[in-house]
Amino acid sequence: MKYYEMLYIVNPNFERKKIDDIIKEIDTRLSKTKSKIINHVVWGKKKLAYPMKEHKYGTYVMLHYNGGEKSALDEFNSWLKLSDLVIRHMIVRLENEPDKIEKADSDLNIESEKKESSINEEKKLNDNEEETTEKTKGVE
Amino acid sequence: MAFQTRRKYCFFKENNITDVDYKDTKLLKRFTNDNGKIMPRRVTGTSAKMHRKVVSAIKRARIIGLMPFVDNGSE
Repeated sequence: MKYYEMLYIVNPNFERKKIDDIIKEIDTRLSKTKSKIINHVVWGKKKLAYPMKEHKYGTYVMLHYNGGEKSALDEFNSWLKLSDLVIRHMIVRLENEPDKIEKADSDLNIESEKKESSINEEKKLNDNEEETTEKTKGVE
Repeated sequence: MAFQTRRKYCFFKENNITDVDYKDTKLLKRFTNDNGKIMPRRVTGTSAKMHRKVVSAIKRARIIGLMPFVDNGSE
């Protein structure tokens, strides 16, 4: 049994209810392949690095599962590729067992990430200042 | 001396990191230039083993839209 991680992007204009419906549908499809679902968490809305299907933003959803039958999983992959539920998805094999994420925590994480990033930006600015001072010292 | 050579070191060895996650874009951005290109090993000083992991992680991040294929600043 192998562990897999799937990250997929949903239309950012969908509301929470519609995203939950998509999650449910993917869950039912996956359970048909005799896979065990470990995590299925909404990451949040993010700006895409480049536009996909004329979308500049996307809602990321992460899914961890323990794979079942290989042929069924291949079928699941191709079904997801053809369906309009998801803008894009990617399945990656994991070497170790993924940790369980509690749903309430994940929602909080998105907010905390934003806070962290703002703090880090400030840090980066400070770092740059330090670097410039070092450079000037070298010239002297 | 006018030119002091800065010693290059492997970032991962220094920080005891053994695995690279494609979702960790903050870390991966260290290994790309402003245009989003992957920087060569001779510039970053990463060990060969970790550089291979970094490259595959960046390529995965690009597919799922976390990192740009090309970033020329025009939006």
